[in-house]
Amino acid sequence: MRETIQIIDTQTGEPVDAEIFDEVALTHFIETQAEWRPVILAAARALSQQPNQGLLIPRHFHWDWTRKEAELKLLAVKFYGLAHEGKLQGIMKVETVAHSCRLPEQQGKPLVYIDYVESAPWNIKKLMAALGQPQRFRAVGTRLFEAAVLQSREEGFRGRLGLHSLPGSEGFYINECGMTPVGRDPHKQNLLWCEFTPEQAERYLAGE
Amino acid sequence: MKFNKDRNWLAKRAEQEDRHFISVGGLISRIDPEWQAEVSSMPNVETTKTAFVRLLQLARRERRLSLEQLAQKADVDLGELVKIESDESFKPTPRTIHQLAEFLKLPAKKLMVLAGLLQVKDFGLQQASVRFAARSEPVEDVSPEEHAALEEYVKFLNEQ
Amino acid sequence: MNPKRTMTLNLTDQEMSVLDQLSVQKDLSKTALIRQALRLYQLVDARITRGEKLFFEDQDKQKAELMVL
Repeated sequence: MRETIQIIDTQTGEPVDAEIFDEVALTHFIETQAEWRPVILAAARALSQQPNQGLLIPRHFHWDWTRKEAELKLLAVKFYGLAHEGKLQGIMKVETVAHSCRLPEQQGKPLVYIDYVESAPWNIKKLMAALGQPQRFRAVGTRLFEAAVLQSREEGFRGRLGLHSLPGSEGFYINECGMTPVGRDPHKQNLLWCEFTPEQAERYLAGE
Repeated sequence: MKFNKDRNWLAKRAEQEDRHFISVGGLISRIDPEWQAEVSSMPNVETTKTAFVRLLQLARRERRLSLEQLAQKADVDLGELVKIESDESFKPTPRTIHQLAEFLKLPAKKLMVLAGLLQVKDFGLQQASVRFAARSEPVEDVSPEEHAALEEYVKFLNEQ
Repeated sequence: MNPKRTMTLNLTDQEMSVLDQLSVQKDLSKTALIRQALRLYQLVDARITRGEKLFFEDQDKQKAELMVL
């Protein structure tokens, strides 16, 4: 799968074409992580040194990529990349079998689970602000999230989606995306499990 | 896949995304150890701030105090209390923290660190704050779990 | 999406009945359900091949081993 979608170029404020695709090259991702990490660290350091911080230090957990070759061949796992002019701007890993719905009204039904989603650090406003640099692209994470919802519909899961939100992102998933906070998961360090019903997914895609 | 082509939709979603981090924790058990070492040596102000707000909320609810009552009893500005609980970027004044510390019988310097007024690299405090923030929620009744979490956190703060 | 190929599936009455029932329960088409089953089978098999074990844990926290060959 490879499709053209729009993200926003922050410099011009205008939508530009980008590609979202699901054919994964592991080496590609590893290289990119190597590029992202120094920027995130620099931003995290800058944030930690600023005195006026009610702000967030990024909790970007970097996946241990070393043992992942086998996982890439699994049907249950899917990676998405988002690239602009050949350069990767975001990645997402979703999974369709190891998790199912927890909301009582749809308990046990399959969903698309977002294991990992990340926009390159130069696209994250708060990180770039800490470094005193301009944000490059906007809505990258949004497009990846949208792809997960669309995949859920294509699979026949009707838009049902699940994820464990890190503490700093709960507001985003609950208030902005409209997911239901179901409960804290003791098997995942008490992270908040958030879930979409088909109706909520519909509303998200339509823009409400 | 039919992605949304509406410009306004995109602009609105971009606006929302820019206000937050969008991190999920599916792979949390498989963190790259090198990365973990690097990041965990930094004080995480967000976590301690969240823990600070939750601490205040739980302590207040445990004593069955409204914000007005707490403001009165601790002799602090009600407006500031409201802002502390609702505005993530708001920084309380040192006097308010001091007053609250006294009222809640907590070490003032610790509270200052949590509230983001002091920068101190304390990994133990950060870890305890993460655990506490994850175990508590800003809703109505204080559950037994929250009570236990609060007790443990307060004990930790007082110990050092 | 990826191009698809067609396969005919010959199932017994009982198998068909289970497929129907699960489809309703999971709110999935029969094809989607078979697809999920295949994914699960591959995932479990991959991990067992690596030397891991798959367990069920019952309400009393007693573990029973399930192996997929």
